[in-house]
Amino acid sequence: MSSSSTDTALVDVTMPQMGVSVSEGTIAEWHKKVGEEVGYEETLVSISTDKIDTDLPSPAAGVVREIVVEVGETVEVGTVLARIAAAGAAPTNDEVGGASEAAAAVGDTPAPSTPEPAPVAEAPKQRGYSPVVTRIAAEHGIDLTKVEGTGRGGRVTKKDVLALVENGGAPAAEPPLHIESPYKPDPTPTAPASSPTLSRMRRLIGEHMKRSLETAATCTTWAECDMAAVEAARAQLRVTALPFVARATIDALREFPQLNAWLEGEKYTVHESVHLGIAVSLGEDGLIVPVIHDAQDLSVEGLAKRIRELARAARDRTLRPDDAAGATFTITNPGQYGSIMATPVINQPQVAILDLEAIVKRPVVVTDATGADAVAIRPMTILGLSWDHRALDGALAAQFLSAVARRLQSVG
Amino acid sequence: MATLTYLQAISDALRTEMRRDERVMCMGEDIGVFGGAFKVTDGLIDEFGKWRVMDTPLAESGIVGTAVGASVVGLRPVCEMQFSDFVSCGFDQLVNVAGKTHYRMGLAVPITVRLPSGGGFSGGPFHSQNPEAWFMHAPGLKVVAPSTAEDAKGLLISAIRDPNPVLYLEHKHLYRRVKGDVPEGDHTTPFTARVARSGEDLVVIAYGAMVHTALAAADELPDASIEVLDVRSLVPLDEEAILASVRKCSKVVIVDEANATCAAGAHIAALIAERAFEDLDGPVVRVATPDVPIPFSPPLEQAVLPSVESVREAIRELLEY
Amino acid sequence: MATTQAQAAEGAQFLTPEDRVELLRYMLLMRGIEERAMNLYRQGKVPGSFYDGFGQEAVSVGAAFAMAAEDRLCILHRDLGAHLVRGVTPARIFGQYMGRAGGVTGGRDGNVHFGDWRLGCVGMVSMLPDMMLVATGMAMAFRIRREKRAALTWFGDGSTSRGDFHEAMNWAGVQRLPVIFVLENNQYAYSTPLSSQFAVDPVERAAAYGFPGVTVDGNDVEAMFEATRVARERAVAGGGPTLIEAVTMRMHGHAAHDDMKYVPKEQLEEWRRKDPIDRQVARVAELGVDVDALRAEVREAIDSGTEEALAMPMPDPSTATAGVFAEEANELEDGHAPWSGWRR
Repeated sequence: MSSSSTDTALVDVTMPQMGVSVSEGTIAEWHKKVGEEVGYEETLVSISTDKIDTDLPSPAAGVVREIVVEVGETVEVGTVLARIAAAGAAPTNDEVGGASEAAAAVGDTPAPSTPEPAPVAEAPKQRGYSPVVTRIAAEHGIDLTKVEGTGRGGRVTKKDVLALVENGGAPAAEPPLHIESPYKPDPTPTAPASSPTLSRMRRLIGEHMKRSLETAATCTTWAECDMAAVEAARAQLRVTALPFVARATIDALREFPQLNAWLEGEKYTVHESVHLGIAVSLGEDGLIVPVIHDAQDLSVEGLAKRIRELARAARDRTLRPDDAAGATFTITNPGQYGSIMATPVINQPQVAILDLEAIVKRPVVVTDATGADAVAIRPMTILGLSWDHRALDGALAAQFLSAVARRLQSVG
Repeated sequence: MATLTYLQAISDALRTEMRRDERVMCMGEDIGVFGGAFKVTDGLIDEFGKWRVMDTPLAESGIVGTAVGASVVGLRPVCEMQFSDFVSCGFDQLVNVAGKTHYRMGLAVPITVRLPSGGGFSGGPFHSQNPEAWFMHAPGLKVVAPSTAEDAKGLLISAIRDPNPVLYLEHKHLYRRVKGDVPEGDHTTPFTARVARSGEDLVVIAYGAMVHTALAAADELPDASIEVLDVRSLVPLDEEAILASVRKCSKVVIVDEANATCAAGAHIAALIAERAFEDLDGPVVRVATPDVPIPFSPPLEQAVLPSVESVREAIRELLEY
Repeated sequence: MATTQAQAAEGAQFLTPEDRVELLRYMLLMRGIEERAMNLYRQGKVPGSFYDGFGQEAVSVGAAFAMAAEDRLCILHRDLGAHLVRGVTPARIFGQYMGRAGGVTGGRDGNVHFGDWRLGCVGMVSMLPDMMLVATGMAMAFRIRREKRAALTWFGDGSTSRGDFHEAMNWAGVQRLPVIFVLENNQYAYSTPLSSQFAVDPVERAAAYGFPGVTVDGNDVEAMFEATRVARERAVAGGGPTLIEAVTMRMHGHAAHDDMKYVPKEQLEEWRRKDPIDRQVARVAELGVDVDALRAEVREAIDSGTEEALAMPMPDPSTATAGVFAEEANELEDGHAPWSGWRR
């Protein structure tokens, strides 16, 4: 409650903090006048705060030199109320023990060091670009190596790159259309594989496909689908378009269960549950079709999660036998590599397979609510369905395919 | 509108709700005849009597546990922990009974627990803590922390009316230091975040007393456009407001007065890393109290608590990044 | 205020012959349901662990039978009989054990961790004496509203060692609340015998908190009824709390996995001769009731309840994260019910 002033002979009397939440106090009464003597710990002044009224004992013996705050005035905690000229023999602030000594110590200590802020790593030159800078540069086709950075160590900041965009400093490139399936030019052919014969998996796939084409009366039907709704919804969920297509397919299969079926010889079995196969490329090694069992129970997010897990397990070669058995319908998704149409081969003994290709912006005729037609740029895809004419007819295939498209167009 | 201190706004909220709803009662140690250690409930006993402004035995588990019991037969108890530190004695009742009852049995537990929290006054290791993160980790409990007088009233009334257990952190530092216009009568505040200061170069995310620290730090850097987001509610957390500020500003400083590890700010940093990675233009920076008990002696205490200076320097460093 | 020994004979005058048969029926139901559930457990149909109250049926049935519809109970894991008295059906209980959607908690919690608040019960948590404070809080609300209602909770000998036992006993004594504490002294807390649990029989502690403690033969359902009836009358008349110590024996292990090697065989043999159901069967047979017919009736209720529960679906996994928070408060009819002091 007291501290030494710069003049060591003068002792300040300050407004004390009477409780942790008290921020101010009011002078109720001075018990000494200027010029009067006051003893050490003799009552000097009465104060009143929100929590308590109390008397303040003098921090030193001596003479009241100055009264700074008058009766009735309210001042903040720590404000000097009076100054006392300490008597030579009386205990001064530096000599008395307890609280005042501790308080004095505060004044003497070098200002308490403020905690070091969490260290921000010093960026080495050209170490890299932050995620937001990379993203903006990609969206606007900016070559970051040519941008002068104003950040620490010449680092390119978001401000730097935004300034460039605003000044039209770089040609604005078309942003990638479909993050999941950016078109990539064919890679330059690498040296031929050292093995002159096909891998075992390649051979098995080949046999399987050949047998399917020999067994089934394979036909392929295509339908166009506007993917704008899916694009918007998937951006929000941060997933690819595939789980949306899977969900729409499952719903359409529930509407047309004849396609969720096996044809083995003359035995035609319609399944109640949808065990959905998803073709996953293993690169040069070939292809595997892990299965989402009881896919009808999963939401889009659930499907997305399961697809990711299965694809990872497939690529890590950790699939369990059950994970790749029992599919009742299959989706293949080569569109992720940029192709726009295909004639997939049915995965026996299933009766159909759906093919999802690249989503490409195209001018299409759209009709507004008033019936007026206009040409608009829409993200479109071509859905392909290969089906077995032994099990069903073209009309049903077409109905099924448009049911999938209809559901995709009304997502969200 | 009346100009009230943060503390008066809390009292006003209690009085308003007790007048409006006979089911609302206050319970705690020394809150009745004495009016509470901080005088928040001063005078309430005269208006509402000793059964609705209850001086309880010194038993924090008892306070929370009996409040749970009273709430499931129709009352709306508002419990006061004399200091938020003492809520550790009522932890089991909050985490295992209050927090899990609705999920297990569909039975709502509408209690409010007021937690006078925070340090900076030589309260020492047992009168200075910020225990909010303990409860953010326990399912079924809501956690709110006002920074202004207006929100102190609005969030408390919203907490009392909420059908769930709500922990209401009232910062002792703000009790008599913060004043503001507070709507009279009915006034609620949603459990969402609030932009306390708008800017676009950097956002400081804070709650409770640290909002004022952040605002003061921002004022000391007039050349930068600094946003301050007052989170207000930790559970539920207004994730969209946080992400919106991060997307706009791309640089983030998160301030906690609580101990750093697993603090609210740590959770917010994780949220930003997960959902706003591509909008960041620098590391997410945190300013928090290191993992030590809050020491008593002023130089020691000031050395660990976030201050205007430490927040300002963190902002400055990140702006330059 | 002194500790007293309650007598069954005094209670008989408050029980009609039909009531005495009902007491037996509830005990038979409890034992039958728990035996069936144990079989379902062994058949792999009950996940997790399994706890029962074999040999303690009189404690929950007798005490719950003395409570009124407007009273509120916190029921623990050896007290299945209390749920039956309050009206929980066998099918819902089997569904609860098996984690089915139709169980009392819909699969959110298991075994005897439940309470149907619509029937005036609050489900227990595993930190058992916590519920003593919840019951005390309910009694506090009744006191504030000046309602003629009481709260009751059970707990075991082990619970008396924890702090919440003290906080609840003290609080209830200070505020003279209408709460009844039923200490189910079944000789063991898991494997720990009474001699390692306390130096003084906890019923003696009641006097130190300012209210009476009563020791009752916990294997006599009519004595349990009578002690609770008297305690409830005191409570609703403003006389404050009562501690009832029901002396009984846990005849099975702490849970299905516990072989109870720590219990001497002679002790079990001695208590087997005091079986609470045998005792009530003798009384009811004396009234001229056909006990075999009653047993058949109970068996049938258990069979059909089992069947109904086995047909219940498992809960939908997509609901696992729902319902952590309440959207609105429950319509409790407390505070505005016929018994309420706030009824307008």
